[in-house]
Amino acid sequence: MLYRWLRDLHLYFGLFISPFILLFAASVFYLNHGKLSAGTEPTTDVYRNLTVPDGFDRLKGREAVDRAKAILPQVDVAGEIGFLRYVPIDRHLIFPVSRAGSEAVVDVDLDARTANVTRRSMNLWESLSYLHKMPGPHNVAIRGNWSGTRAWRVLADATIYLTLFISVSGVYLWWAIKAERRIGLTLLTAGAVTFFGLIFAILHGH
Amino acid sequence: MGIKALEVWNRRLHYYLGLYFLFFLWLFSLTGLMLNHQQWFTDLYERRQSSYDVPIETLVGDTQLELTRDAMRQLSLQGEIDWPAAQPVGHLDFSVSRPNGSAQVRVDVNAKKAYVREFENGHLHAFQILHTFSGSRFNQPASRRDWVMTSIWVFAMDALSAGLIVMVLGSYYMWWRLKKRKALGAMVLCAGAASCSVFLLGFL
Repeated sequence: MLYRWLRDLHLYFGLFISPFILLFAASVFYLNHGKLSAGTEPTTDVYRNLTVPDGFDRLKGREAVDRAKAILPQVDVAGEIGFLRYVPIDRHLIFPVSRAGSEAVVDVDLDARTANVTRRSMNLWESLSYLHKMPGPHNVAIRGNWSGTRAWRVLADATIYLTLFISVSGVYLWWAIKAERRIGLTLLTAGAVTFFGLIFAILHGH
Repeated sequence: MGIKALEVWNRRLHYYLGLYFLFFLWLFSLTGLMLNHQQWFTDLYERRQSSYDVPIETLVGDTQLELTRDAMRQLSLQGEIDWPAAQPVGHLDFSVSRPNGSAQVRVDVNAKKAYVREFENGHLHAFQILHTFSGSRFNQPASRRDWVMTSIWVFAMDALSAGLIVMVLGSYYMWWRLKKRKALGAMVLCAGAASCSVFLLGFL
């Protein structure tokens, strides 16, 4: 009974997360070996008569990001705000906004109520890598300021939890096949030796 | 090779690869969770810092890399090297990093002295860094990996990724051969592919 349940859950959970596994696995090759290319030429658009919220000279973190988000629909940009940089000398607010497939840098002149928006499109490999790295460890206080990033975080987490479940259930399903125990144990041991040996060499080797 | 033999070997390959890469998979899964939820672990990233200066012999080498390697040899440092965009006159500045720590080094070439600031990461921090430890600086096209252990670790990452891709593709074949589970499996797979594509195509 348990075997049947685990076998079905292993199959269906595996099928559901398989596109995510492929995405995370394929992007590793670009993250490890890819080099940033010039890609498509960025384009710049100017927007005028914006309704610009105030307070950027004193607000920080999530509060400032929430106000900056009010500017985004006015400049036809949607995505995750990476960080905010307020330049007090000429009262400019500069921030990158990204999503898989495109990124933009919004430069707002708070007094003139204008914005220069520079847009760049990502190629497929960049998009895969972008999703691989999101939401990531940086700027935790403001990360997830876009609904797309929050939804992706849920799916990325689900992929991890289901991967852990699938790996454990996979071990159980393999153990049930008595004829495969010996070679399986050999491979499991070989994997463990490789894994712990590598980690020891990286942490303590010369 | 007949269909039957292909099926047997495909199934075997699926769990042989899974068993060999089991610990690697757990490491990247758990560290992925840590990277996406830094707020859960903020108190666990202890880092010890120490500073010292030591006399060194005249550096030997023709290139920046050779000079740096000689300095590292004298200071018993190992890891991935990083240099600042420009070197101050009469100095050789660099940093060396590995998952369990890093060092910032400033060598005064004329005074034959090295000023070293070392950081030692806690176990959990080191564990997490293994997820991203590729020595890759893809925004610096001229850069390359300089430590052999980084290259080996990157090979392990690549092997895991290739293994996972093979396992996934093999699992599609195994599922397709299960007549009773085709319909529900197709629905589940489509749901996963659709939710993944929505993000990849930039709709969300």
